[in-house]
Amino acid sequence: MTPLEILSAAIAGRPAPRIPVFCNLLDQGAWEMGVSQEEYYASGEMVAQGQLRMRGYYGHDNVWSLFYVGKEVEFLGCNKILFTEGGAPNVADFVIKSYDDIARLEVPDDITAHPAWTEIGTCLRILKQEVGATHPICAYITASTTLPALLMGMDKWMELLLTGPADIRDELLRKCSIFCQKQIAAYRAAGANVLIYSTPFGSTSFVGMKRFMNFSLPWMQKDLAAGGTAGIVYYCGMAPFNTVIRPVMSELGIGAYYISPMADLAEAKAIIGTKGLTCGVIDDIKMIRWTPEETRAEVKRICELGKQGGHFLFGTGIMPQALSDQNIKAMLKAAFDYGRLE
Amino acid sequence: MLDAIIKAYNEAVFETDKDAAFEVVAQALAAGMTPEDIVFNVVIPAVEEMMSHITKDPDANLAQHFMTAQIASAVTEKMLEKFQHPPETIGQLVIGTAFGDLHSLGKRIVIGCLKAMMVNVIDLGVNVPAERFVDEAIKHNAQVIGISAMMVHSAIGEEGCRKVRRILRERGLEDRFRIVVGGAPYRFDEQLYKVVGADGWAADAVNGAKVIVDMIREVKAL
Ligand code: B12
Repeated sequence: MTPLEILSAAIAGRPAPRIPVFCNLLDQGAWEMGVSQEEYYASGEMVAQGQLRMRGYYGHDNVWSLFYVGKEVEFLGCNKILFTEGGAPNVADFVIKSYDDIARLEVPDDITAHPAWTEIGTCLRILKQEVGATHPICAYITASTTLPALLMGMDKWMELLLTGPADIRDELLRKCSIFCQKQIAAYRAAGANVLIYSTPFGSTSFVGMKRFMNFSLPWMQKDLAAGGTAGIVYYCGMAPFNTVIRPVMSELGIGAYYISPMADLAEAKAIIGTKGLTCGVIDDIKMIRWTPEETRAEVKRICELGKQGGHFLFGTGIMPQALSDQNIKAMLKAAFDYGRLE
Repeated sequence: MLDAIIKAYNEAVFETDKDAAFEVVAQALAAGMTPEDIVFNVVIPAVEEMMSHITKDPDANLAQHFMTAQIASAVTEKMLEKFQHPPETIGQLVIGTAFGDLHSLGKRIVIGCLKAMMVNVIDLGVNVPAERFVDEAIKHNAQVIGISAMMVHSAIGEEGCRKVRRILRERGLEDRFRIVVGGAPYRFDEQLYKVVGADGWAADAVNGAKVIVDMIREVKAL
């Protein structure tokens, strides 16, 4: 079976030789290609080649069309990104500096015609051509309730969210939600089939249950209504969200859940069961100082907790560059070993 | 009367309702309470109450942390203007986000809590070079250097906390300052603070304030 077929089998609960194994390597691609991060991320062809080479070398199932998360706000006017060699690029200038900027914020009509799409489009074209028929191609989409953090800074966004003015907050969210919907459509059309929907404010470690129900959930409904939930993975940026799996499942109909290493995986699997796909995720920050044996033991623990009854995937966070090659290999070997299904 | 005020104020903080908190304060002032009383007998105990609540309650969330800090620092700031004598501060902290890191929320919440607890905070901003942390700590006669980092590379990289530690060692300043760190990577790996050479860390800002106050007292006792 191809990795794409293995993923479909895991989602549907059909027999397969093993669980799907996802490994999220992004910035490591620049090393792979022997260029600086800035050069790497300037070229969709580079990013595609980096992804393909890393997949070929390590043998995990998925490739990524994500450059870096800050890229999303380049569509909305941001043109200053801080590149560093040791880690991910960061948004270095906020598009929204005062509430007046919210009224001026413009969502491009056709995002695929925007210059920020050019290289993403190239990257996806290559990925689709090379592995589209056999491997999952992931895309990353920030939820409307989280995108403002990249547009105005997390602290300013928290303030607006919690203390208003409500009309200005909602105007911003409306624009972010439209952008989110356009991204979902564009990535799907370009060949991405796993859409990581990044929604930290959809976790009760960010807002209380009341605000989750009255605020986060309705906005997520808007984000997803037009495009449906095919291929959507619920992801709270690695924040735990077991408390909301039930309402997300019933109200949004999302089928896949990327469980935080800080959450109780057994509990999550018990809630999701055969109704969806549980993704068991390793703590790749702790992994930095683990020995390969320790890494292997943790993978074993995760797989054994999750793989009973199928509907399970093994995955990572956004793998830090500080991880050793040895540890990444140990992790993947263990995932293929312990992820075997009878 | 004090009990009723404390109860009403705590409720407002718990519900993250800033307006309601200010209302309680206005009523307390009108009823003859002094600004000093409000800060020391209402606001500071409320922060402490929130600390123990957040520690015990697994469902405590970021919105509560944020608003606790916002309300406490806003009320304290207002009251300080009305103090008869300038209050005595517990000590000084310089705080910033590590070099290469532009995330400011964690730091802002820490600062809010500390202001309410009478710690004099010097905010160095984001993307702060290691040398600057040390220079400013000396300049402001701080007891503690706080370094916030949201990404692994800014937390464990050579330009962040590790370098601050190295500079302190090289300049023979290790007795004079404690280093405290915080931010997402430290929450995923509770041992990480040791790896980067910090003296302590906290999983959230409210408890961070407590760790920092303890460190200030420790350094002052030397
Ligand atoms: C929300 C979130 C986002 C949001 C908003 C980001 C933003 N601008 O703030 C979005 C979705 C946009 C995002 C994007 C990215 N993120 Co992000 N994100 C998160 C998440 C879920 C929570 C972070 C957060 O805002 N927490 C709230 C703040 C207040 O918490 P905090 O900073 O930790 O601070 C608290 C405590 O730590 C403490 N504290 C903080 N500082 C200090 C200092 C002292 C002295 C003390 C005592 C205490 C203290 O008090 C605070 C409040 O209680 C974390 C995972 C997690 N569960 O923590 C990942 C996480 C931080 N993100 C991560 C990454 C990689 C990114 C990106 C770089 C991805 C990319 N490749 O582009 C981008 C960067 C975007 C940019 N800035 O350009 C990684 C970082 C680890 C790593 N691999 O390096 C994490 C850990 C996820 C993961 N495990 O993979 N992210």
